[in-house]
Amino acid sequence: MITDFPQFPLALPDEKDVLAELAAFDGTPVIPKDRRRTVFPVITKEDVFAMLLSAKTRPEKVVADFTEAYRDYVGAGYALPAASGTASLHLALAGVGVGPGDEVIVPAFTFIATAQAVVAAGAIPVFADIDPVTYCLSPEAAAAAVTERTKAIMPVHVHGLPADVAALRAVADRHGVAFVEDASHAHSAKVGDRVCGSFGDAAGQSLMADKNFPLGGEGGIAFFATEEARDRAADYLRRNGIDYGMSWIAASFGSSQLKRLPYYDAIRARNAAVLDDQLRETGLFSPPVVPEGSTHAYNMYRIGLHPEAVGLGDLPVHAVKEAVHELLVAEGVPAREWQNTPIPCHLPFRRRQGFGGGWPFTLNPAAARDHEPEDFPVVTGMLARTLVLCRELRSPVEYERLARYGQAFAKIARRPDAIRKVIGDRTFPLPWDKAARLG
Amino acid sequence: MDRFDTALVLTRVLTSGVVMSIEKNDRELPGLERQLGKLSGRSAVVLTNSVTAAVHSALAGIGAGHGDVITAPPVPDDIRAFLAWLGVRTREDGEPGFTFVAVDPADLASLPDVLAGLPADRPVVLDLTGLGFGPAGAVLTDDSRVQAKAERLKIFGTFDLRTMWTQVESEPELVPGVQFNYRLSPLVAACLRMSLSSRPAPQPAGEPA
Repeated sequence: MITDFPQFPLALPDEKDVLAELAAFDGTPVIPKDRRRTVFPVITKEDVFAMLLSAKTRPEKVVADFTEAYRDYVGAGYALPAASGTASLHLALAGVGVGPGDEVIVPAFTFIATAQAVVAAGAIPVFADIDPVTYCLSPEAAAAAVTERTKAIMPVHVHGLPADVAALRAVADRHGVAFVEDASHAHSAKVGDRVCGSFGDAAGQSLMADKNFPLGGEGGIAFFATEEARDRAADYLRRNGIDYGMSWIAASFGSSQLKRLPYYDAIRARNAAVLDDQLRETGLFSPPVVPEGSTHAYNMYRIGLHPEAVGLGDLPVHAVKEAVHELLVAEGVPAREWQNTPIPCHLPFRRRQGFGGGWPFTLNPAAARDHEPEDFPVVTGMLARTLVLCRELRSPVEYERLARYGQAFAKIARRPDAIRKVIGDRTFPLPWDKAARLG
Repeated sequence: MDRFDTALVLTRVLTSGVVMSIEKNDRELPGLERQLGKLSGRSAVVLTNSVTAAVHSALAGIGAGHGDVITAPPVPDDIRAFLAWLGVRTREDGEPGFTFVAVDPADLASLPDVLAGLPADRPVVLDLTGLGFGPAGAVLTDDSRVQAKAERLKIFGTFDLRTMWTQVESEPELVPGVQFNYRLSPLVAACLRMSLSSRPAPQPAGEPA
């Protein structure tokens, strides 16, 4: 039987090991090689039984029941199931009436799907810089990007932390444009008591199996504030023959997972709180900042680096980041960059071929601008001095593993000499001068 | 369809824990690719999450985009509408740019013969939605260039599901402009594999099926 059940338990770390030699210098890794796998999503007997029942149910009903249950959980007015997050964003934009040649303001830091969904809708993504604290679309930058052809502002609740919804909504209202959420990282994320996906005139959300709320493989959902917007999106699909349908297999898995989502959310919040405290003690590292009143969903956990706090202020911060990255990976903590280049500098937005022959960019040449990374100083500043934990913190990670993450960060922060040695006389290109990666 | 088989297959994949298409341990998507390759005699298979995604991928494969004119094979009206949405104009004369085959459970026995009889010089768009596991499609081709371009449309320009986060671009000329997530779920792929492998034997000519 092929199973993902863990082969070995992980023991709590020995406190004195924080003083041990770093794994990169032939010390013992904090997390042994054969215990690094993190199980996600967690699949239980309830998921299996629900799937078997679904196989005996009309497929349309399985998908409709899931859609209604999750719409109710989010508190959105109306919903349409979709095959992917990208499809759901496309539907959200179609629902608020975004069409060929329109401009949609999106953050320069997100997953490329945010901007590609705008192109799918025949519109042109106009990129704006982010807020230095939340890493989400800056309301000031968004306001500055509005033109007469702007049809919508689409912030992303990046990593699961809500964007500044009130300020962005105010910008949209002031200019009479739609407010659309990309809630693909933000399952159960909240501002006050309201869940992300329920704020916008419409919202799109990925439900692929690597998200905090996973469906059976691939999926997405679009939310709408009005029945009219939902119907406009549904009609758009019919009229254009587009099949964005969700499989009943994906939906069934979502229905059973939804019942356990609050439990997993609570574990993620607990894990993040524990790691927050561990990082604060290191000096070199800082946890994500969560504004008062916001609930972070922690689909990803972005860690700040502060070389100056450990006497490394004379070194380029991105070089320190790369050295620390190498040291962390050697200890068995698979940290990642998650994005190394602002989205407008990725190939599809440099070349702007779109669907072919430059469409839809050719419809609105003024909006189709050439960009350099330096146009987005807050994005590049963040890329230079942060690292990300993804799946490593997403699943209901055991306390023992969490304690070991903390030990790995503490171990490295105590060794500025080792970081300096790793850097040596190597040259480190800036992250965005390397080839753009998806993640 | 025997519901017990579906139950067994879904339980097997759920027990493996691998339900994500971009998981490097996934065996279902490569398994379905191999199976369709064998069934059709084509060397390359691109799996998608719907038939329209397969049409879009096939067009990307043959290099037809917005503003281009192609000869379309006979297709249902919604596919015709989809071609118009892509900005691809169609004409009636000439050889079609791709072949279109919709598969239903009743067609499974004759599927290898149907596929073997198709022109080898153009991709086949296969609609697998009728098999009952949700929207699904595939592009079959013998042309590795067509496959490479079709494959890249479905995952934001990358060429391999299993390395999507880390791969560094080696062939920028193949990166599509607009990009989608057209990935098929491994759970759906597993059910399609079961369905295709349990197809009844073809009936001898002259006897009712």
